[in-house]
Amino acid sequence: MTTNMLAVTGGTKIFYRGTLDERRALDGLNIALKPADFCIVIGSNGAGKSSFLNAVSGKLPLDAGRITIDGQDVTKLNAHRRAQFIARVFQDPMIGTAPTMTIGENMLLAELRGKPRGFSYGLTAPRKAKYREQLAELNLGLENRLDMPVGLLSGGQRQSLSLVMAVSTRPKLLLLDEHTAALDPRTAKLVMDTTVRAVEELKLTTLMVTHNMEHAIKYGNKIVMMDAGKVLLEIGQEEKRGITVPDLIDRFHTKSDAIALQGS
Amino acid sequence: MLDILTSFYGLIPVTIAQSLIVAFVVLGVMLPFRILNFPDLTSEGAFPLGGCVCGTLISMGVNPFLACGVALVCGFLAGCTTAFIHLRFKINTLLAGILVMTMLYSINLRIMGRTNIPLFTYDTVFTILAGPSANVSWVKILIVGALIALVVGLMLYFFMSEKGTSMRAVGASPDMAEAQGINVGIATIMGVGVASALSATGGSIMVQTQGFVDVNMGFGILINGLAALIIGEAITGRQTILRQVMAPVVGSIVYYQLISFCLTLGLAPADLKFATGAFVLLMLALPNLRKSGSGTQIREKIRE
Repeated sequence: MTTNMLAVTGGTKIFYRGTLDERRALDGLNIALKPADFCIVIGSNGAGKSSFLNAVSGKLPLDAGRITIDGQDVTKLNAHRRAQFIARVFQDPMIGTAPTMTIGENMLLAELRGKPRGFSYGLTAPRKAKYREQLAELNLGLENRLDMPVGLLSGGQRQSLSLVMAVSTRPKLLLLDEHTAALDPRTAKLVMDTTVRAVEELKLTTLMVTHNMEHAIKYGNKIVMMDAGKVLLEIGQEEKRGITVPDLIDRFHTKSDAIALQGS
Repeated sequence: MLDILTSFYGLIPVTIAQSLIVAFVVLGVMLPFRILNFPDLTSEGAFPLGGCVCGTLISMGVNPFLACGVALVCGFLAGCTTAFIHLRFKINTLLAGILVMTMLYSINLRIMGRTNIPLFTYDTVFTILAGPSANVSWVKILIVGALIALVVGLMLYFFMSEKGTSMRAVGASPDMAEAQGINVGIATIMGVGVASALSATGGSIMVQTQGFVDVNMGFGILINGLAALIIGEAITGRQTILRQVMAPVVGSIVYYQLISFCLTLGLAPADLKFATGAFVLLMLALPNLRKSGSGTQIREKIRE
């Protein structure tokens, strides 16, 4: 048996604990991913998807539970310490990149993710050549604009750049937080295609949050449906084949209704 | 008119020497403000702190170079304190700066033990380096100019290094920086610390050129620094890191010549702070008055 690339056990996060507003964002969450798993996370708003991703990335420290990445316990590590294992693409293209810095500098920041940074010159010629090569694969012409501030790029270009920045270091874990939600359909498809190509080529263990049921069915080898901070339903590779959007929505409703009935 | 120009011309070297010293403070204002996106007021307290520490040590017979070094370290600690207060207690950066600045006033008084110390009789960095010609303006310009060139060069290199790039990322997008494994807190503390160290260095050089320390020195230095920075950026632009680190020096030199010109034209020194404040206000307000100014977004950042 291979070790899990990501394992969350009993992950719990409670906001406003002990007040009337108490809210369990994560409630004993258990999830395990094998290496090269491409797991799609779906669920309604407030189901805990973002809290889950933030807990994994370290932005949201857990109240209880344990997180391991490739067998290593990272529960107590800060977000910036976990960055050596994790790359992340945010929903907002403005967050994932540094707008006032150039494309080349952004690539440099990503290359050094989780590595010690020294006082040596940053954007050396060999590095620039490497970045040009990596960016050329996008076919967006970004490779000729290394000295351009990222703020001048369109949302789609920025998101594509974020993706290249995320995957170029071959992270142990790739977190995609609705990373195509803010894009127009054509650009979203472009970014999604690039994502799938990179994830498959590099065999990256990936967690992708999406509201797009078609994406959930089309991509990945595993679907995790979340509700009230828990995993409601896990659909594996075998079962995932042949499933349709209505099926998925149907199951989603049945499950939530069941929960609602139990609660009453 | 001619005599006004003559007296202005005669003041040029003195003014350049002064503006190069203040350029340290302007660099110290620029760094948190532009690089870290951390509007910081500590300079207003770090500048006199540097002066008081350096002056007091010199008056105790300590080597002036060592005195400057101690002043620099004290300034660094003051900046670190401001950044720490902001990060740890989530207190607004400006308020954190005001708190530190206010408390520094008492500390400065304690360090000096009185409000004023004359330094005319002591050796300074300038008398050691230049001997009897230490008071010649061009000598001061040469010494301070060399030092500021060194600082600007170091800053330019640093901000293009691996570490410096990550510090700039912290200002440009803290979430992104954290996701790239950068310790945002440490980078902020170090950056604001270095900025205040620069302001303190400016203060320590200032007391050695003017020959005395006064606890009230540098009142309003921050607004002067801000005005100089805005002028500098209007001249050099801020598209590249070279332009951004050059702006404080260029701005300081131009700004102090403007002030000197206004004074020779007959502006009462008492009105100077009002004029400076009005100028900064105008520069910040201008894009809004024009509604569609190209510099709107840049300036909006300052107002926040």
